[in-house]
Amino acid sequence: MNTEKLYNITENVLSQLRDGGAEIAYCTARMSETVEFNVDGGEFSLLRTLFDNGLSMTAIKGGKKGSVGSNSFEEASVRATVESCLAAADSSEADEHWGIADDQGEKCFENGALTPDMNGLFDRTKELLQTIGEKYPLIVIEQMIISHTKSHSVYRNSNGTVFNSKGGNYSVSLMFSGHEGEVSSSFFSSGVVTDNLDKPFIELGSIAQDLADTEKQIKTIACEGKYTGTMLLSPGCLCEFIDSIAENFASDTTLLDGTSIWKDKLGEQVADPRITISFCPKSPLVCLGENYTGEGFISEDFDFIRDGKLESFFASYYISRKTGVPRAKNNSGNMIIKAGEKSVADIIKGIDRGILVGRFSGGAPGINGDFSGVAKNSFLIENGEIIGAASETMISGNLAAMLNSLVDISSETVADGISVLPYAAFDGITISGK
Amino acid sequence: MIKDIITPNKSLFAAGVHTELRAQINKSRGVTIISGNLTGNTSSEVSGISARVYKNGVYGFSSMAECSEDAAKAVLKAATDNAVFMDSRVNKGTKMFPAVNGGYIDRYTCTNTPEQKRYIEFAKEVDNYIAIKYPDLKGRRVAVRADSMEKLLATSDGKDGYTSIPRSYVYVIMTGETNDGTPIELFKPFGGFGTFDNVFTTPDKLYPEIDEMYQKIRAKQEGIYPEAGVKTCILSGDLAGMLAHEAVGHTVEADLVLGGSVAAHNLGKEVASPIVSMVDFAHTFNGESVPLPVYVDDEGVEAIDAPLITNGILTGYMNNRETAERFGMAPTGNARAYSFSDEPLIRMRNTAILPGTSKLEDMIASIDDGYYFVDTNNGQADTTGEFMFGICMGYEIKNGKLGRALLDTTISGVAFEMLKTVDMLSDTMTWASSGFCGKKQPMPVGLGGPAVKCKVTIGGR
Repeated sequence: MNTEKLYNITENVLSQLRDGGAEIAYCTARMSETVEFNVDGGEFSLLRTLFDNGLSMTAIKGGKKGSVGSNSFEEASVRATVESCLAAADSSEADEHWGIADDQGEKCFENGALTPDMNGLFDRTKELLQTIGEKYPLIVIEQMIISHTKSHSVYRNSNGTVFNSKGGNYSVSLMFSGHEGEVSSSFFSSGVVTDNLDKPFIELGSIAQDLADTEKQIKTIACEGKYTGTMLLSPGCLCEFIDSIAENFASDTTLLDGTSIWKDKLGEQVADPRITISFCPKSPLVCLGENYTGEGFISEDFDFIRDGKLESFFASYYISRKTGVPRAKNNSGNMIIKAGEKSVADIIKGIDRGILVGRFSGGAPGINGDFSGVAKNSFLIENGEIIGAASETMISGNLAAMLNSLVDISSETVADGISVLPYAAFDGITISGK
Repeated sequence: MIKDIITPNKSLFAAGVHTELRAQINKSRGVTIISGNLTGNTSSEVSGISARVYKNGVYGFSSMAECSEDAAKAVLKAATDNAVFMDSRVNKGTKMFPAVNGGYIDRYTCTNTPEQKRYIEFAKEVDNYIAIKYPDLKGRRVAVRADSMEKLLATSDGKDGYTSIPRSYVYVIMTGETNDGTPIELFKPFGGFGTFDNVFTTPDKLYPEIDEMYQKIRAKQEGIYPEAGVKTCILSGDLAGMLAHEAVGHTVEADLVLGGSVAAHNLGKEVASPIVSMVDFAHTFNGESVPLPVYVDDEGVEAIDAPLITNGILTGYMNNRETAERFGMAPTGNARAYSFSDEPLIRMRNTAILPGTSKLEDMIASIDDGYYFVDTNNGQADTTGEFMFGICMGYEIKNGKLGRALLDTTISGVAFEMLKTVDMLSDTMTWASSGFCGKKQPMPVGLGGPAVKCKVTIGGR
């Protein structure tokens, strides 16, 4: 029923866009349903059920591109959206580099859990709340959002490609802090995406570790003075740093305006040879992957940095044609970093003075890679041991330099359904107290 | 305008529960030009209807991407079923919150937008001006963003209403280079409340401020890194607004108070210098409209100002109807939803530190060794009140005079400690409203303040 509806809508849209003069066009029609439980202040508060649609379309006329989105499938509304799209393209500027993939044929994708188990989801949520209450008594749950979303979409483009995708996943997201009397830790968040309810949520991702760490962060100690030391990043924090590196040195924007300091470094060594960072939507460890890109390419795994060498930018097809760099083979965000050989405990034992950073609260790094901010949810390390949770400690350094001052990558990894990440330690970081 | 498929369905509201039914349209426009290349040309319109039902301490909510009589009936039934499911599984048994005054509030401002061509031509003209006049820049970006929320609301025991918030902005980003080749950036938003043609006439009106922006980036080319440590500084009105929103505002949202924020233990206590007062304004300040006026919230509460800090004492929280009852406070209209498919959350509206009596030049003259922090590119804060702001423009102050420009740095502190060090506030007020506040859902918010003299921790390099 949905398939026929979505096929018809995309066929009509494409036909109207072509009739309106678009040489290249593509559109996606999507239907989704979400069931969501909310917990606020540690208590169940809300059950939501959402029935949504999405319709996005792009027209390229004479090299001029316009894109429009809507959520209405009503015939008159679709017609109006098509007209807006064509008008947007007419108003644009011609650029011969816009384009889409050659015909990829007709393909079907099915991922995850398509039918939610609402009672099972409620029971797992209740169980998580009870477990936290029993095992982590100092934790106060500010908010917990547990949901299942299923979606069905059809993508169609003017080269003949049709992608029919169905997917469904459970998502667990919680925000919390530790409290003892009037003293509290910084807030922290944790979460996973999964396609089943087989295991208690507390066993997934790094939820248990994050809760335990947060309880230890209620009482803090001050960082004395200012020194150059080692920064050990937690998996979640490492992901944020790598995202900044990708944005500053390898994104469409900085490639196009020429401000990327890596713009001429493809194939060159930009990091320690032990660093391999890949984007793998097809990995069996990933639940929320990507089947195809917006430009109509079937998504494939790729290495961003392999053995320290820059293997790919995050270039769209447009930027690829515009600048001559190869396009990125997916746009998924499914980051996988190759694990090392030492345990986290052994890495800590080797650190003379430094900090284990759980969360970085900092300004957007400068385009040269300079970063500076507060180390939140963090622990100070001295002489190979954690000596306490850090208060008001600032860290600063440079993203590009950091990649070349790797100390170690942990053997342990955290898989949260979106990415698979280890801990990683870097030298040469400025660490300072109040 | 939204066709009224809401009011006729009030007769379907169940007895003994609180019900909201809302139809909503969100529109947005976007144009992006990167170094002369038009890379973004988008628009969207998202609409639908939702219902929320409160029963014995739990809510049921449902939404559909359709504004029709049938959709109204369907979401009412689904929301009621969800509330019943939750009540049967949770058994909270909380009593109903009190009714608020009924009536109807009509504060619709036209949200009709010009053709996409208008946005593109405006952005291109601004980009051309910068390209021709300042060819030595290493990079430039010009973006236009316009969005609006239009809501038709009916409630079982509060105000009904028809309201809208349109806003329009042009963002300019310039990239330069220091003398040693280090890239540096500056960012500035222009615009405010209203549709694009209400806010902008011709691009040349922006040129004087663009010229100032270029002068700043030139100054920054010769910039220095500030010294790390605690110093007496002046925060501009933009930074004071961010402080009000990020470092204090979030901690006094009642849902975060219940989640254990620092404000939970500080109600009625001194949290700031006696010269500091802070208010979350609903729609009016000093007889003039605030940047993003809110007249009724999505629970049917008529919006009034929420005093948060009065002469240094923490005097209130921002509430929805449920938390207001819990804390024994009056609801002030802070329950807001971003999209038709979003439930109302406790959100800020126009949060500001109130101005004082000092002149900025006197504030600068009173500092022997410190900094004047002018522009920020980012700000974050914790529920403990610990905050961090990225500084992308500032100046050193030496012997009461402004000195060299600063390179990017970070400042930090703990709000309720830092606010106690405030000893001068300027008599001017700066408002900003171009960003989104993020808290499960995005939300357009206003923030403001005077220049603030205080002690903060500087990250240095």
